[in-house]
Amino acid sequence: MIAFTDIVGMDLAKQALMLLAVDSELGGVVIPSAVGSGKSTLARAFADILPESTPFVELPLNVTEDRLIGGVDLEATLATGLRVVQHGVLSKAHRGVLYVDSLSLLDSSAVSHIMDAMSRGEVLVEREGLSEVHPAKFMLVGTYDPSDGEVRMGLLDRIGIIVPFTAQNDYRARKKIVKMVLGTRDAEDTRDELNMLAGFINAAKEQLPHVSITDDQIRALIQTAISLGVEGNRVDIFTVRAAIASAALAQRSDVDEEDMKQAIKLVLIPRATRMPEKEAESNEAPPQEEPPQQEEPEAEDQEAPSDTPDAEAEEEQKETPDMIEELMMEAIEMELPDNILNISLASKKKATTGSRGEALNNKRGRFVRSQPGDMRSGKVALIPTLISAAPWQETRRRDSKMAGRPKTALLITKDDVKIKRFRDKSGTLFIFMVDASGSMALNRMRQAKGAVASLLQNAYVHRDQVALISFRGKQAQVLLPPSQSVDRAKRELDVLPTGGGTPLASALYLGWETAKQARTKGITQVMFVLITDGRGNIGLQATFDPTPEKATKEELEKEVEALSLSIQADGVAAIVIDTQMNYLSRGEAPRLAQKLGGRYFYLPNAKAEQIVEAALSF
Amino acid sequence: MTQTEPVAKKTAAKKTVAAKAKTESAVKKKKSGLAFPFTAIVGQEEMKLSLILNIIDPRIGGVLVMGHRGTGKSTTVRALAEVLPFIERVAGDTYNRTVEQYLEGEEGKKGGKPIDPATLKVEQIPVPVVDLPLGATEDRVCGTIDIEQALTSGVKAFEPGLLAQANRGFLYIDEVNLLDDHLVDVLLDVAASGKNVVEREGISIRHPARFVLVGSGNPEEGELRPQLLDRFGLHARIITILDIEKRVSIVKLRREFDDDPDAFMDKYNKEQQKLQKKIQTAKDLLSKVTMTDEVLTDIARLCMNLGIDGHRGELTITRTAHAHAAYKGETVVTMQHVKEIAGLCLRHRLRKDPLETLDAGEKIDRELAKILGEAEAV
Repeated sequence: MIAFTDIVGMDLAKQALMLLAVDSELGGVVIPSAVGSGKSTLARAFADILPESTPFVELPLNVTEDRLIGGVDLEATLATGLRVVQHGVLSKAHRGVLYVDSLSLLDSSAVSHIMDAMSRGEVLVEREGLSEVHPAKFMLVGTYDPSDGEVRMGLLDRIGIIVPFTAQNDYRARKKIVKMVLGTRDAEDTRDELNMLAGFINAAKEQLPHVSITDDQIRALIQTAISLGVEGNRVDIFTVRAAIASAALAQRSDVDEEDMKQAIKLVLIPRATRMPEKEAESNEAPPQEEPPQQEEPEAEDQEAPSDTPDAEAEEEQKETPDMIEELMMEAIEMELPDNILNISLASKKKATTGSRGEALNNKRGRFVRSQPGDMRSGKVALIPTLISAAPWQETRRRDSKMAGRPKTALLITKDDVKIKRFRDKSGTLFIFMVDASGSMALNRMRQAKGAVASLLQNAYVHRDQVALISFRGKQAQVLLPPSQSVDRAKRELDVLPTGGGTPLASALYLGWETAKQARTKGITQVMFVLITDGRGNIGLQATFDPTPEKATKEELEKEVEALSLSIQADGVAAIVIDTQMNYLSRGEAPRLAQKLGGRYFYLPNAKAEQIVEAALSF
Repeated sequence: MTQTEPVAKKTAAKKTVAAKAKTESAVKKKKSGLAFPFTAIVGQEEMKLSLILNIIDPRIGGVLVMGHRGTGKSTTVRALAEVLPFIERVAGDTYNRTVEQYLEGEEGKKGGKPIDPATLKVEQIPVPVVDLPLGATEDRVCGTIDIEQALTSGVKAFEPGLLAQANRGFLYIDEVNLLDDHLVDVLLDVAASGKNVVEREGISIRHPARFVLVGSGNPEEGELRPQLLDRFGLHARIITILDIEKRVSIVKLRREFDDDPDAFMDKYNKEQQKLQKKIQTAKDLLSKVTMTDEVLTDIARLCMNLGIDGHRGELTITRTAHAHAAYKGETVVTMQHVKEIAGLCLRHRLRKDPLETLDAGEKIDRELAKILGEAEAV
């Protein structure tokens, strides 16, 4: 076991964990990092800097609902004949740490339970005849590899600190450093250092209630959250807490600029949905007319403002230019790499799916729970059935004897039968690939959107997953990774910009990649729904090369053909919806459909219902 | 006065059923159980109004609160418990029944004997708020045979579930859009009939289960089944507050609460009681509120113009407008009242048109404006 103080690098993650050790109300720390970065070693070493005997519970990924929440302890119940309650993992972590490795792989129902426990600080056990409340106030420490997928935003919203994803050092080199460090020092050094750190954190905890923050500082932090497009108001509280904890660690009684920067870095930036610089520029241009506090209270009574944070609302908020705020913005700009949106989780949040992505069913997937049911409608869960029959044996035997029925060892009635419920990713993923190039006339786009929207509606009803890829300009882009949020897909479609070339090959390639990834997550069937005129004019090379050689028509067609055939061979089904004007068509889209082995529809003729039917009948 | 009963006692009363014989957890519950006061919640007026109107008239049919993460959805619903009025029930009745309901239920049983109403004691309890967690199993929701009793004394006794506790109160489901399908089926069934029927081990139990369904969730995590969506009387939407000063005060209030919850509760005690009283007054006033035929016609026309199927839209608007008028202390429903609640009542009932880019709220406003214009011109 490597001690907290012996771990090399990952300074930001260490700082994050120290802040959490000082103020557990920060909820937790999430560390996204690549394989072999030592993130899980660090997370486990977190116990070193906590007071002794603080519970540290590691959550296994395949945890079942009753292990997580708690339930009847079977052995003890059978032994004593009384109902004995077993506390779940969540309540075992009470006043301590719940650690989840590979947080993004955690089953979504488990995520929901964790979210629920975090918002209540306790677990409600309402199952198997039990009705209990178990305290479950814990800090959640999660590590994961972003290439496995993202963590559900709802959960991240309850966790105060998200360590910004950092570029990876070479894993072997790091290991070597660790070894070297370990070799040159003895256990005593480590112990001394740990003791010092623990003392340091204790002192900070004592300092915590004495740290004060000014209203202007709070205002500046909130302004920053708004500028970064962070959703929700809960995050404000975390930001302020982080700044205060940072001051406490420095044994100061006032929050200073460094503390605020630290809070912004660890709480806000990873949730950013947009760049602050742009906002700043656009805000300087228009003259400021409206006074602040423009909102009348009644306005809210009747109708919620209909939109998410947008630039307009921002302008109105930006009225009071504040020295602190300017300083903050400068600080952020300095801290931020150019590609902030690539490091921020929020921009990738679309990768998460709701629990609808995993349907409970009676036949396949992972066993999660049992429920009363008909023996013929699923697999019988033997032990739960026996548990439910056990208490009745005495009375049933009596009744049975009275009725003069023959004696049997075990009396089981149909009420006892419990069948297994499995959790399974829903079967089909529809990948919509919408041609947004200049050749898609606007009205076509509208029609195409209509078709997609009705397909989406249908996909929702059938609990399928949808992904959305648009292609225009140099390359295709995933607008919505596999998810079940029809809402979001619609929204993405609404704002889909058009214009530029038609990188058809890139779309096919990206779609295929998406399909492959989805398969590793349990998707069994994938269908492409291509909405295009089929006239690709940008080759794959443009994806990697900013100044590609101009590909000839033949090369382009060959590329598309090769890809199409591989995709077909890979078992991906396809529908091509042709958007080309009749008199312009040279049969590109039908050819594409043929190469993909898919069905072809001509949009102006096709009714939305027909397309839906085709999509569902493959 | 029962209304001044201390907070702690109320919480305890609410929990007696859930915590029976589990003293340890019950004690711990009390400590962590202080909810942020309703009257200290900043903004989110739409959600607060929806909840209050449902207290005034539970027949409105509940409220669905959907919106952004971290905007205080569950905090607000859980805060509701402290401003609820009191109801009268037969003392100790698990189903919270009134004397009449009790008599009807008990005498209607097989072999039920007539009961003299004079022998029944009644008690005042706060309107129950029952939390239905996502992991709940069907037997706990609907109730089942008490296994302990069966084991120890061989008696088949019914152990009521959450639906029984929620009778005449509120049933709250956080993350309602993630609720397991088979539980949704149970809820739809019970919500439609107002009764819960359990058959197990040769005994058959039927008890009233009328409750105000309150659900909350974030639409991005998954969508709600259309049948369930339709069950909710009102649909409140909630978004991130962008007003800086409001957000500053949210942070400050929260910090104050976390530092010393008891002192904070004391500070808001007066306002909490004021609100509770205002709600009770509105409840009492409700039966005196009237609506003219003209207003009713306008409501019908609004629903028709918006192409809303069935009559649930009109019915909900009418009831909600009555409650809204009562809350404002007025006895005649005007189109102004209707206007203020129409979005809440209709937003989720509009037919979904995939090509429609206009927001449901805007559409309702536009039709309302048309009707109001017409009404003025006539």
